[in-house]
Amino acid sequence: MSDREDFRRVSVHRELSRRSFLQLGASGLAMAGAAIIVAACGQSATPAPSQVAQSAPTTAPGAAPTVAATAAPTAAAASNPTAVTTSKATTATTGKPTPGGTLYAAAEVDPVSLDPHTQSNFSALQAYDHIYESLTAYDEKMNVIPSLATKWDISEDGKTYTFHLRPNVKFHNGQTLSANDVKYSIDRVLNPKTASPWKSWLGPMEAVKVVDPLTVQMVMGTPFPPLLSGLAGNRASGIMPAGLAEKLNLKIKAIGTGPFKLIEYVPLDHISYQKFTDYWNQPYPYMGGMVFKILQEESARLAGLKAGQIEYAELSAQGAAQIKGAAGISILESPYAWVDLTENNLSVPALKDARVRRALRMTIDIKSMIQKAAFGAAVPSGPVPAGYGQWPLPQNELPYLTPDLAGAKKLLAEAGHPNGQGLAPIVIKCSPQYPDFVSNAEIMKASFAQIGVQSTVQQEEWGTFVKDSAPPGFNYQQSNTADTFRPDPDGFLYPYFHSKGNLNPGNYSNPKVDSLLDQARTISDQSQRVTLYHDIQKILLQDCPTFFWYTKYNIEATGGKLHGYAQSFTGRRYLLYKAWLTG
Amino acid sequence: MRYFIRRLLSTLLVLAGVSVLIFVLVRLLPGNIVDIIAGTEGELSHAQRLAVLQEFGLNQPLPVQYGLWVWNLLHGNFGYSYRTDQPVAGLLLSRLPITIELALLSVVASALIGMILGIVASVSSSGKVKVVAQIVGLLGLSIPSFWLAVVLIIFASFTFHWLPPLIFVQIWQNPWLNLQQMFLPVLSLALGLAAVVLRMTRSSMLEVLGEDYVKVAWAKGLPRRVVVLRHALRNALIPVVTVLGLQTGYLLGGVVITEQIFGLPGLGWTLLNGVYQRDYPVVEGSVMLFSVTFAVINLVVDLLYTALDPRIRYE
Repeated sequence: MSDREDFRRVSVHRELSRRSFLQLGASGLAMAGAAIIVAACGQSATPAPSQVAQSAPTTAPGAAPTVAATAAPTAAAASNPTAVTTSKATTATTGKPTPGGTLYAAAEVDPVSLDPHTQSNFSALQAYDHIYESLTAYDEKMNVIPSLATKWDISEDGKTYTFHLRPNVKFHNGQTLSANDVKYSIDRVLNPKTASPWKSWLGPMEAVKVVDPLTVQMVMGTPFPPLLSGLAGNRASGIMPAGLAEKLNLKIKAIGTGPFKLIEYVPLDHISYQKFTDYWNQPYPYMGGMVFKILQEESARLAGLKAGQIEYAELSAQGAAQIKGAAGISILESPYAWVDLTENNLSVPALKDARVRRALRMTIDIKSMIQKAAFGAAVPSGPVPAGYGQWPLPQNELPYLTPDLAGAKKLLAEAGHPNGQGLAPIVIKCSPQYPDFVSNAEIMKASFAQIGVQSTVQQEEWGTFVKDSAPPGFNYQQSNTADTFRPDPDGFLYPYFHSKGNLNPGNYSNPKVDSLLDQARTISDQSQRVTLYHDIQKILLQDCPTFFWYTKYNIEATGGKLHGYAQSFTGRRYLLYKAWLTG
Repeated sequence: MRYFIRRLLSTLLVLAGVSVLIFVLVRLLPGNIVDIIAGTEGELSHAQRLAVLQEFGLNQPLPVQYGLWVWNLLHGNFGYSYRTDQPVAGLLLSRLPITIELALLSVVASALIGMILGIVASVSSSGKVKVVAQIVGLLGLSIPSFWLAVVLIIFASFTFHWLPPLIFVQIWQNPWLNLQQMFLPVLSLALGLAAVVLRMTRSSMLEVLGEDYVKVAWAKGLPRRVVVLRHALRNALIPVVTVLGLQTGYLLGGVVITEQIFGLPGLGWTLLNGVYQRDYPVVEGSVMLFSVTFAVINLVVDLLYTALDPRIRYE
């Protein structure tokens, strides 16, 4: 009970002396004016200065188009000469970890559900990530590491995975983890009735077999190298006690093996967690508990940070610019798995011809787009997000880094549409749910017009937008959206660009791409796969079935008391289990 | 009495109409719970989609769905939220007090501010007072409450380093903390409404103050306080009460955004979230609740007239 009481006591007061009160009163009007202007300029045209631009170390000044990149996979950076600098992605880790304390933090979205198997929403993952664990996990550098499984064997034919479970792992209800629980959880995902949107992360899995209480086998229909990272993604493989879903309303309750156990979730208000003292991975977690208050309004998060009421919040680039430099506040930012893009529907006559698409792509000034739409907090990107180890094309091999209007006009004329003649106006769909999608659309419209191609921007409410984006209808001509994390580069490519892919609007089909994608699925040698995926990306950037714009930065602000927190390329904040509080 | 029954019957008819409307409207919105679950990136096969539809009974014909919903509604069963599987009735009941408190406090605050300023502006002979009242009235009318809300948050935190306690507390759990949490939201909502009340009070007072019976009251040598407050104000209040009643209804609309900005888990935000997530039972339930509230407020306002002015009688 004392925990709950504690949560309510975080009122922030500062005794005001009479003098300071008078001063404040005098400055009050001025501040009110300033505050009004700040709020009114929420959509200011002036791009926020990019922290990265300022703080980017000059280690690679000679490298051609220098762009800050890749904080997370530093292992990859060694072998990838063009992966450039490390922007600040971890909090200062001075001093020794001290246990205890409760972290007060802001959640930017109310989690849709706490069920680890049935939601596509990232908000759900952010909430249950501290509670449920999978057989494998990612470390800070995106290496797959053991979690509930200590080791695994893969059969010769690549179809059978045998996992050896960690002994004496406790669930939050005191139960001990056994192979039955793993079978129950994975079977739940495989069951079509569960309607798990991320079931594909388990690939062609056919059966889960219990060998003995600490050994589980997963049998695949065909070899599927991405399985280990698919499990580490934790979107369709959280392990719960057998029979839990039948006993508990998993949308608002949870029992897992993770570092924190759920105390309560009050939708639209808060989620609170308590340290799980029997956690297998001692000495983690350091913090005694966490409370995430749902604050959708960014101004409220900024105010909370500024007043010292919360120690952690996710921010937009604009929000970060407002609070940067405030005492005790650190801004963390690094590229993460979020690629802004535009999907072309190839069944639309105007977009059928690759030359037209390429011409449109060539009109875009990507650097200006990043300034205007992402407020500088992004890097140009191909299909696989920049920062994802060796999988993305190196920055200096990306085409379209500068606009080429003359070339675009020439291409358009070759395609039989000089100055856009004979092309029906293109409709670009987007949703204000994500303001950058709308900004991208406006920039596209203005850029396309430079070579005589007309277009209109159509904004839709999110639910409508999702409906229009969904297969098999693909009710759009151009759709501005984003790709988020996939446990393997295959996930960014196969479903969208293989002629048999189920998210392929207008049936883009290139036999070369098909055969390379198929080949990459069967090879387990990583460096060979890297080469294949680079080749595929180069073709896609030429064919332009989709326009890939930029990889965004994950921007998180922490107060002075939170230490040892590292950002994850996945955008998840599960690494909070290694963080601690002082003061 | 007959009038009352007639009003009650017509209110019920309105509510029946609302139930059909909201049921159809929410389903006319493109996209349903399945699309929301799948998102733009998730992959759901046809079989999986059907399984979800079946789970929520969305595969049945619309009239059947409507019949079931109304039947359950009449039995006090608002259904279960698609999102949390919680009973909607319980959810709404836990959210309703927050919204009612917010709305009531805003109405009371705006009535107090608006009426006092309005009376002062109508009685005072000072030009400055009139100008101030005009400015307050104009600002209140032209500043949208959601914008004011954002400014208030930033102002409170950046200037005064003060913010109310983070986690919401119900008024019966800790009134002091609760009132702190309500302070900024009420302020942001009350200003707009206060401006309306101010202008209404002022013009209505000016009109009444010119009437013969007020002159008689002055002539009798009654003290200023009695003339203004007892003779004039009472008659001047009728249009003010009408406006307050109507505006309270609209306030329920403003509450939706304000709750989201301040992170108050009230009915308004619940409704908004329900719409975003195509959580039909929650949307239907909360709109019904809003409609009932609206209808009851109108009824109460009509009945208040008789209390204010005994000459008004309903037959």
